[in-house]
Amino acid sequence: MASETIVSFRNVSMQFPGVLANHDVSLDIHKGEVFALVGENGAGKSTLMNILYGMNTPTSGEVTIKGQKMTHFSPSQAIERGVGMVHQHFMLVPSFTVAQNIVLGREPKHRGLFYDFHKAKAITDSLVEEYGLTVDPAAKVADISVGLQQRVEILKTLHRGADILILDEPTAVLTPQETDELFSVIRRIVKEKQMTIIIITHKLYEVMAISDRVGVMRGGKLVSVENTADVNERILASMMVGRDVLLGQLDRNDPIVTDNEAAIEISDLHVTDNRGLPAVRGLSLTVHRGEILGIAGIEGNGQSELIEAVAGMRSFTKGNVVINGKSIAGMNAGQVRALGVAHVPEDRLSTGVSAPADVTDNLIVGKEKLPRFSLFKTHMKKRAVRQYAREISEKFDIRGAGIDTAVGSLSGGNMQKVVVAREFSFETPVLIISQPTRGVDIGAMEAIHQLIMDKRNAGCAILLVSADLDELYRLSDRLVTVYEGRITGEFTPDTIAKTEISYYMTGGRKEADA
Amino acid sequence: MKLRKNMSYLLSLFIAVAAAFILGGVIMALSGHDPIEGYTLMFQGAFGTQRASANTLAKASTLCLCGLATAIAAHAGIFNVGGEGQLYLGAMASAWVGARLTGTSPWIAVPLCLLAAMLAGGIYAWIPGMLKVKMKVNEVITTIMLNSAAIYFCSFLTNGPLKTAEKGVSAGTDAIDPAFMFSRIVRRSSLTESIFLAAIIALVVWYLMKKSTTGFQMKLTGENERFAKYSGIKSSKLALWSMVASGAICGLVGMFEIFGLHGRFIESVSSEFYFDGMLVAMIMRYNPVGIILMSLFFGAMEIGGAAMELNASIPSSLIVLIQSIIIFFMAAEQGITAAFQARRARKKAAKALQKGDAA
Repeated sequence: MASETIVSFRNVSMQFPGVLANHDVSLDIHKGEVFALVGENGAGKSTLMNILYGMNTPTSGEVTIKGQKMTHFSPSQAIERGVGMVHQHFMLVPSFTVAQNIVLGREPKHRGLFYDFHKAKAITDSLVEEYGLTVDPAAKVADISVGLQQRVEILKTLHRGADILILDEPTAVLTPQETDELFSVIRRIVKEKQMTIIIITHKLYEVMAISDRVGVMRGGKLVSVENTADVNERILASMMVGRDVLLGQLDRNDPIVTDNEAAIEISDLHVTDNRGLPAVRGLSLTVHRGEILGIAGIEGNGQSELIEAVAGMRSFTKGNVVINGKSIAGMNAGQVRALGVAHVPEDRLSTGVSAPADVTDNLIVGKEKLPRFSLFKTHMKKRAVRQYAREISEKFDIRGAGIDTAVGSLSGGNMQKVVVAREFSFETPVLIISQPTRGVDIGAMEAIHQLIMDKRNAGCAILLVSADLDELYRLSDRLVTVYEGRITGEFTPDTIAKTEISYYMTGGRKEADA
Repeated sequence: MKLRKNMSYLLSLFIAVAAAFILGGVIMALSGHDPIEGYTLMFQGAFGTQRASANTLAKASTLCLCGLATAIAAHAGIFNVGGEGQLYLGAMASAWVGARLTGTSPWIAVPLCLLAAMLAGGIYAWIPGMLKVKMKVNEVITTIMLNSAAIYFCSFLTNGPLKTAEKGVSAGTDAIDPAFMFSRIVRRSSLTESIFLAAIIALVVWYLMKKSTTGFQMKLTGENERFAKYSGIKSSKLALWSMVASGAICGLVGMFEIFGLHGRFIESVSSEFYFDGMLVAMIMRYNPVGIILMSLFFGAMEIGGAAMELNASIPSSLIVLIQSIIIFFMAAEQGITAAFQARRARKKAAKALQKGDAA
């Protein structure tokens, strides 16, 4: 496909304090293609795209957009040249309507003075029609799903005249269905409008599904650019990490505990969400020792609230949770932990770590009053603490940082390793794990999966929630599907195909349960 | 790494202070005074005589306690702006108890007065603390408002129900028994025995914040409360208690003023001492050792500045100016250092790349 070059990077390097984020990258993007940029966390994908969008000024090298050399340009200049970027975290005003968000910054004026709401709506309607991205212009952004919010973001960039669209990990927040819809939208706008799409992602099957060409980044360098048709996931994965890791086998042994004892018993649980609306509605399940029970569901169907309730971070309105024979009704997180529970939370940055604190502090939390680390539970033994932190960070292979580094400056994968290292080294018999590898590179994912499996093999009872079906299939002994806070089916991974299970994740019920 | 970060901060601070003094000197020169003479007088005013040094130390101890009170609350994530009100109530409570106990043994009376001051300050800080942890009411707003409430309440008491019948006293409560007063360490200075108590408090606060498990849990609560809760730390309780401790320290500062200098509650017991201390704490990023040292520096400037005004008629508002410049620089510190670091890194990278190309 010999087509014209629309964006070109020539020997681009980007130096951040202490990190060479991009090293001598040269790349041509063609008009009308879907170009996928893949790489592990910290490989420099986002930095390269931020350079294109004018957010970072490269240390050396040059960028050409549509034949014009760009030096020291700002995002607004990039937008003028037709570059649009949809960030991983949306930049929308929740209390505004869809139409208001789309025209934000270029509001249509009535007599040059007043906001013209009708015109805004008309603009949105015409955009919706032109690109076939259906949204309700009058709906408030706060009320619509994440998938729709992403559409609004895309429409916003289109309204600004973008024909080069950068999508930064667009599917990280989407359900499988929403991902499919996004992809069909991408295909349509590329085909009909001759748009150029650059998509940053971790997920290799998405690369295979959507892209024409793929660039692989590793350690700040662009190691390879290939036609997607010429490669497969395995080849891409080994390029990304420099070794063959994908689909590695986990050591799944018979757990050492073979009695069928229940460690977590949830009966008819009802939990409300932050707005006071029911999120978990009469859910019952049991997790036995030596098994991983996976919960599959589209996000927002009560999984988060369920996990928080079981971990003692959210009170429940009805029903009961019994852990190791004790009811946790009315307990706080500390009391639940005392029953022998460790918890890897779904959002590591807001819940799982203290970002400004160093690695040592984050590893020791919860153990600071053990005799090994304090005198009379009062005086902290700093030396013993640091010694322990060194041991643990070596054991769990937390890389790229000394134990004095602020956790907030670690990459996603290493930050998650800090959380896992802390929680797993409590040596508790019960583990509650939510989204263990979200936004984590393949190397770290592999390591974390094996750690979880080791815990199971050692006889722990593990409740696992993940938005990643591959992960659930890989780890779980049993799978339950949830929809709107209720269980819709129970399976074992080898008895149901991934394509079939989504039927239950969207409200279909197993015959036997109906 | 940690040490390097601290060192770079100290360097910035040193530059800020030097720049502020140079600017202050320029202003002195422009207004027709000799800056060398001005600064010499200032230094002599702060440390020239035994009495001057004692006054500096006394001023520093007040600033330091107020700064530590700010820091201990901030450590657990609460910004106590209400120290001034807590100080007033502590002073009032101790003066009232002190006057009631006239004639009893100082060994009984003084501890009771200390307790009264701590209780009054602590309880008054407990109110906004409780509102914050239970109902998420912004503590900055409540504490500022409670300041006015406390100061006017004390004013009402002093001019109304608790006004002394003694002749010749315009606005004050009954005098406390002179036997209860802290004695002066240096004659005719404001340095009293309360400095020893202040030192003990400073030591306890430092230990609590930097060395204890409780301080560690407080720190995490202050950094990320949700994380603290998730980890099983009783974050609400810690935040509330750190606020109460902060208030109790402020109450004691008020008590020290009464039992060291005034002998009874008077309306002008504090001229915004707490806010000065709060500034010191913020400049030193709530680091207890830093607060102690910076208090000495600010105390010397204030005492020296007054002497400079007296002897060379250089207005002591120059001191406020110098302090403001320091604060201004330190507020901009983060941005400035980040810009420098980025520039250095960029240069280094460009060099490394050139080398690579040549090779």
